[in-house]
Amino acid sequence: MDMTLSHAGRGALPRRRLSHRLGVLGGLSLALLLALGWAASSGSLGISPVELVTGEVTAMDGRVWWQLRLPRLLLGVLVGAMLAGSGAAMQGLFRNPLADPTLLGLASGAGLCVAVWVVLFPGSDAFGLYGQFVAGFLGALGVCLLVFGLARRRAGSGAVLTLLLAGLAINTLAGAGGGLLAFLASDEQLRQLSLWGMGSLAHSLWGATLVALVLVPPALVALLRRARDLDLLQLGEATAHAAGLDGRRLTRRVVAATSLGVGVCVAVSGIIGFLGLLVPHCLRLWLGPGHRLLLPASMLGGALLLVVADGLARVLAMPAEMPVGLLTSLLGGPYFLYLLLRGRHGC
Amino acid sequence: MLNLHHAGLIDTPSLSPLHGEVRAGELLAIVGPNGAGKTTLLTLLSGFRHSQLGPVTLDGWFLDAWTPAALAGRRALVAQFEPTGFDWRVRDLVVLSGDPGDAAVAEIMGQLELSRLAGRGVLSLSGGERQRVMVARALCQLAAAPRDDKARDGGLLLLDEPTSALDIGQQQRMMRLLRRLAAERHMAVVGVLHDLNLAATYADRVWLMAAGKRVAHGTPDQVLETERLALTYRAELQALERDGAAPWLALKP
Repeated sequence: MDMTLSHAGRGALPRRRLSHRLGVLGGLSLALLLALGWAASSGSLGISPVELVTGEVTAMDGRVWWQLRLPRLLLGVLVGAMLAGSGAAMQGLFRNPLADPTLLGLASGAGLCVAVWVVLFPGSDAFGLYGQFVAGFLGALGVCLLVFGLARRRAGSGAVLTLLLAGLAINTLAGAGGGLLAFLASDEQLRQLSLWGMGSLAHSLWGATLVALVLVPPALVALLRRARDLDLLQLGEATAHAAGLDGRRLTRRVVAATSLGVGVCVAVSGIIGFLGLLVPHCLRLWLGPGHRLLLPASMLGGALLLVVADGLARVLAMPAEMPVGLLTSLLGGPYFLYLLLRGRHGC
Repeated sequence: MLNLHHAGLIDTPSLSPLHGEVRAGELLAIVGPNGAGKTTLLTLLSGFRHSQLGPVTLDGWFLDAWTPAALAGRRALVAQFEPTGFDWRVRDLVVLSGDPGDAAVAEIMGQLELSRLAGRGVLSLSGGERQRVMVARALCQLAAAPRDDKARDGGLLLLDEPTSALDIGQQQRMMRLLRRLAAERHMAVVGVLHDLNLAATYADRVWLMAAGKRVAHGTPDQVLETERLALTYRAELQALERDGAAPWLALKP
């Protein structure tokens, strides 16, 4: 018997499904491009890409656009895609539609570690900047391992409750830690911390954006490559194993990719809540739970939502701007309550 | 095709040493009281749990030596239904672990009377319907595997209480289907069964488990003796003779 048989035909989708997939992803990509065009030209620094190309802008405006607006747009795409994509992946991993980097405490764990770093090592030189990323990654990874350990211990119907309570405890702890840090921090650090805690893309400069550009796409690709495995996992662990899944490897990879991506996102943009819950949830209602479509669609949808929300955050209170994390939480919080009230998590 | 040399181990403390063989072309029923180790045994046969002191071999190879993908083409498991939080469409769930092509899927879904339910969400189904969906999924998984040696056998199908939520008509059709798969597709079918009469009527061989031990094995009429079952299950039983079939085991009122 040939031991290395690959399952030919399994990866191939029937044509109508393939075109459905391409249609959905193409539509979302187009919407994202339009949103980027709008976001590029809106706000107090409104320059449309057309004007940029035709050169109808002053050199000063152009420079400002390249230095401030472009990294901000890119960061919006990366952070939105990462948060929504990791939300979809975690929901698949926990086999539960309520999992989300914010609710499970991943974001606040990363946030606390970054805050500790910022207060203890003030300054924005390269050392401080990259230290933030490492701190964010370690914080997210620590919380991820803790939460996953808890979830495994309490399998079955109690798992959801355990997860949400663990997330609550971690969020509370991180809040208390943040309070402690507020004592130690200088006035300027304090303001920086509190603004950053609300989540914002306003501080995006090329330095941070480049780091995100290097680290986030691999994390996204790593998650996308696990789509079929996440599908299999939905059958339950024993059945998925019999269907060819290495569950431990899947868990390790999703946890690593999510921790890396979310850690980096939190380090650059603070805590932008509920994106990871909201986007996969809405898309699952539309597209069904299959991860091969849900994961890429969530990433595009998350990027779309964050770019639009960030644009609105700039426009709504002109010339000042709202932290975009406030906006997404205002959107996501009520939606989450609505889901709980409706009592049907199965979508 | 499947050989089990289980010599007691770390991963499965509830199961005593056991040596056995599962053959292609036959329907093997595993029966026994609650907590006898039937499900543990099934996960051992599937390779989900490891037997560290005694190996499980499939086609002469240790389960560990198979690649997960190749093994998935040779054996499939239908566990007791684990609810997933997500509402899969029946058709999508059936081909989740392997898509043998539209014609084969339609045939399998027809055999399990699921054609009508293809577009329904799995969360809206009854327990019995879900059970049939999961059996169809396992059959699709085996059918999807490339088989250059089709002549040899149809693979190994492990089922944990596949009839527990089915009405009697569905039970009969399910058991007949399993028999047919063993006889015509030359599959090895292993089912944990609670209904002793189903085992007596349809199985080729029976393993009787009690307290982690296999206490008897053989053909149904060798194993399913009223006295032995009454002792094992601590139940008062009565065997009712039937024409041309194994006696019907009934509970004394």
